[in-house]
Amino acid sequence: MSEPTAPRQEAVSGSGGRRSTAEAARLRRRAAWGALAVVVVVALVIGARTPAAQTPAQKAASIASEVRCPTCEGQSAEVSDAAAAQAVRTFILAEVEAGQSRGRIEQELEDRYGSDILLRPPASGVAGLVWVLPIVALVLAVAGLAVAFRRWRTVGEAPVTDADRRRVAEALNEDAGGQGP
Amino acid sequence: MNALLGQYAILLGLLACVAGIITIGFGLYRQRAQLLRSGRNYAWFVLGAAVVAVAVMERALVTHDFSLSYVAANGSRETPLLFTVSSLWGALQGSILLWTLILAIYTVAVVVKFRKRVTDPLVAWATLVMFAVGAFFFALMLGPANPFTKVSGTVPIDGPGPNPLLQNHPLMVVHPPMLYAGYVGFSVPFAFAVAALVTGRLGEGWLLETRRWTLLAWGFLSVGIVLGAWWSYEVLGWGGYWAWDPVENASFLPWLCGTAFLHSVMVQERRGMLRVWNLSLVLATFSLTILGTFLTRSGVLDSVHAFTDSSIGPWILAFFGLVLATSIGLIGWRGDRLRSPGAIDSPISREGAFLANNVLFSAFAFVVLLGTVFPLLVEAINGNQLTIGGPYFNRMAEPIALCLLFLMAVAPALPWRKASTELLSSRLLVPAWAAGITLVVCVAAGLRGLDTLACFTLGAFAAAAAIRQLVLATRRSVADGAGWWRGISGRANGGMVVHLGVILIAVAFAASTAYGHRAEFTMKPGQSAAVAGHHITFLGLHTETHPNRTSLVANVRVDGGKVYSPQISNYQADPGGGIGTPSVRSTLIDDVYLTIAIAPQNPGDPTVIGVTVQPLIIWLWIGGGLVALGTLLAIAPGRRRRPVLPASAPAHQPGERPARAERAARIPAGTSAAVEVPPA
Amino acid sequence: MIDVTYPDSPPTAPRTTPHRRRRRTALYSALALAVVFAAFVGVLATRKSAIDRQARSPLLGLPAPPIVGSSIVDGAHLDLASLRGRFVLVNFFASWCVPCQDEQPQLVKWLGESPSHAIVGVLFSDTPGPAKAFLAANAGTWPALADPDGQLALNYGVRGPPESYLLDGQGIVLAKFVGEVSAAGLDRIVAQAQAAGA
Repeated sequence: MSEPTAPRQEAVSGSGGRRSTAEAARLRRRAAWGALAVVVVVALVIGARTPAAQTPAQKAASIASEVRCPTCEGQSAEVSDAAAAQAVRTFILAEVEAGQSRGRIEQELEDRYGSDILLRPPASGVAGLVWVLPIVALVLAVAGLAVAFRRWRTVGEAPVTDADRRRVAEALNEDAGGQGP
Repeated sequence: MNALLGQYAILLGLLACVAGIITIGFGLYRQRAQLLRSGRNYAWFVLGAAVVAVAVMERALVTHDFSLSYVAANGSRETPLLFTVSSLWGALQGSILLWTLILAIYTVAVVVKFRKRVTDPLVAWATLVMFAVGAFFFALMLGPANPFTKVSGTVPIDGPGPNPLLQNHPLMVVHPPMLYAGYVGFSVPFAFAVAALVTGRLGEGWLLETRRWTLLAWGFLSVGIVLGAWWSYEVLGWGGYWAWDPVENASFLPWLCGTAFLHSVMVQERRGMLRVWNLSLVLATFSLTILGTFLTRSGVLDSVHAFTDSSIGPWILAFFGLVLATSIGLIGWRGDRLRSPGAIDSPISREGAFLANNVLFSAFAFVVLLGTVFPLLVEAINGNQLTIGGPYFNRMAEPIALCLLFLMAVAPALPWRKASTELLSSRLLVPAWAAGITLVVCVAAGLRGLDTLACFTLGAFAAAAAIRQLVLATRRSVADGAGWWRGISGRANGGMVVHLGVILIAVAFAASTAYGHRAEFTMKPGQSAAVAGHHITFLGLHTETHPNRTSLVANVRVDGGKVYSPQISNYQADPGGGIGTPSVRSTLIDDVYLTIAIAPQNPGDPTVIGVTVQPLIIWLWIGGGLVALGTLLAIAPGRRRRPVLPASAPAHQPGERPARAERAARIPAGTSAAVEVPPA
Repeated sequence: MIDVTYPDSPPTAPRTTPHRRRRRTALYSALALAVVFAAFVGVLATRKSAIDRQARSPLLGLPAPPIVGSSIVDGAHLDLASLRGRFVLVNFFASWCVPCQDEQPQLVKWLGESPSHAIVGVLFSDTPGPAKAFLAANAGTWPALADPDGQLALNYGVRGPPESYLLDGQGIVLAKFVGEVSAAGLDRIVAQAQAAGA
């Protein structure tokens, strides 16, 4: 979140002392934001460093977390204690240690259990729409808002009629007269 | 005897609802105030009927009257009393009965609260809609979901008891009633929204009147969801608390829409805008509760919660279709005529932030709904079976959640109408530095992972912004002599407390997901193992016998301290598999979660103990508690609001009670525009 | 009745500003949503129950995965390939599974109908002791294998007992049955396969 530079604003009041204090405060703030930005970027760069390559056990667990436990309702094979889930974990670990790739292992499981054994929908085909549709919806929503903002900007230019002025005067009189509800 | 009484009670309830609909409908058609007055009295009969039916069912359960097929299927003499009572909502028919009772309570509450406006068509239509919804649920209980059917043949002497998963934790007693209080609570704003559309009155009146109801329903729903996650964690044994299970999603969807509504309603109050959108949100929230009911009870989706496949599905689907058709029809018919004038000046403003909030929540709801029903759609299109589980939802929800955290940080500091960069920079500097320091501390402590760190940073940012608001409000109210507690009560301040709760939940979710460790150890008694900084010692196994189950219990000492006992139980109701019960050691830092993964098959075999260590789990429940507290604070009256400027408030006609804001003192002339108006 | 109109929610009168005409956004969105949701409700209404879906299997029409081991009943060596030429039912069962018990008479009946019928049982998440007793108690005379690490069940894609796979004479998977089987249902599939020239 970088802070856009605000244009310098000339203070209208006459006192030179007040102007420089306000500007000094503004400069201090800007410096504080700048320092913060540097700190955050450095920390994130350090923090984003991915850990060393996974052990086979970790890799197997990661694959198992995206495979459905065959006998449970919706739990992943990584976390379930069911016998079928343990069988899946054993299978995955054996395949990982044999050097098979993630895609290959997932395909082998699909060949046995069917396409609904994987918890993550495929990225292609009709099923792949599930990844695309939310992004499309978001883009449409943002575009709709942009259109709405543009329309709102032009709406504000309504001409003021005498009837409007009269209504305002009445409302203000009602206020001042203390004839509240 | 019980069955007969219960049946008659339900019949009475249905008749009272129908009578109410006819009387009020006729009164509206003929414009006869007397009919309206008498029509709403039927609500008391509805409540009486529901109370009698529930009382009869509870009596039947507690006295083990096995002549009722519901008791025969769900009751047992060996089940502890607490779970016998809660078995009322443990199966399909009883849960509909509970729903109907809560609906009856809300209907009577509406009638009582609005008794002074009984001749107002808005209130009359709203009462009519409540009766209509009640009629549906009573009809459901006379038809496919009858709780009072009698057993055919000989009456059994004992029953199997409730599903074993529903009788091993006291959370089962509170989770469904809370959840239903939330779901059903949304019928009230729905009823008023329909009434407003039908009568064409979209001024701020109905919004202000139902604001507290919506907030209360939302609060119940939030607590119900958190309790459900807690139950899942403590009972199901997989170490997690949120699986994006279809039924969890079904409860989450109305929550998302309800949250969006609670925020955008403030734009309507302040600026008179977004009326049609707010109505759509309210209608959508209620429709989603009915859709959720359908998904839960029809067996259409596999789920932890799926009640058995029953014939109730088509009824609920038909009702869902009716609700949808009514909502969409009303919006299509009236929506364009009731559009408000006015514009939002700038996207960088409180209004703009609420709009962004709504876009994000709508996107979130779209993602959850799509992911839940997409397998059905794909199968209908090309016959392929598909599972959409945790990986999809987590991947899609993450960026949305991060953006929402950012909004939570920035929005309270944004003024209405327009903000300048200088204003924002001065207000947000301290919270931003709090976030930066948090990030540095986390990285220095060795935490890694870009998205998790982003979550922590933005969470700190949002928390600091919320605390800043609370501190400012408290200081102001103390300075005004109103007492410090005014600084945390009222809608805005209660809302900040709720934000803090949500932030805690988000941060705990991120931490437990990213830094959890799972391991299994094959151990014989006396052996030890270590995982993620914790030391466990397996002490031994023994068997325990209870009236309703036999359990194999493992004793495990954690970190040289207390002994924990994960179990595998065999309930008389479910002779097949064993039901695992975990044992959890919770501290503020992390949870050590123990299960028996594989029980020894022969004596002398080793036992496989599963251990899951996840940080910050307890903060999920603490966050949930904060959300509940914040909701109560928000419902409580706060500082008297500075009124909206006269030009954007609706003019009031004689007989129409004006909104409270207009009765308050006007802003005195001469007040400088630079004074920060508190976001009340 | 009080008919209240608010000055800021005017009825159909057009605005005074020149650029405005009545926008029908709400109507069009409502129509679009109506179409989408009608389709959605239609899909929900015509959907089969979850139970019916499970009899699909990616193994249909493919050679059955091999099964080799020693029977828990009498220790004899068992190889699925040695049963070529007969219709074999691979039956995954467990002693704690109630529908497995219910289907035993049907299995016994089917086995006795013809010498070209054979059954191989595979334990699912169970131990040999109770399983042996289960078979003996229910007059099951066919060989059964233990599957201690669950890999046999994994190879066949078994979700839970009872599940059965009917193989033809060449060892190709003809059908998958989820839940109890009936002798009549098995006979029907066998007859279809024979008519197709198996």
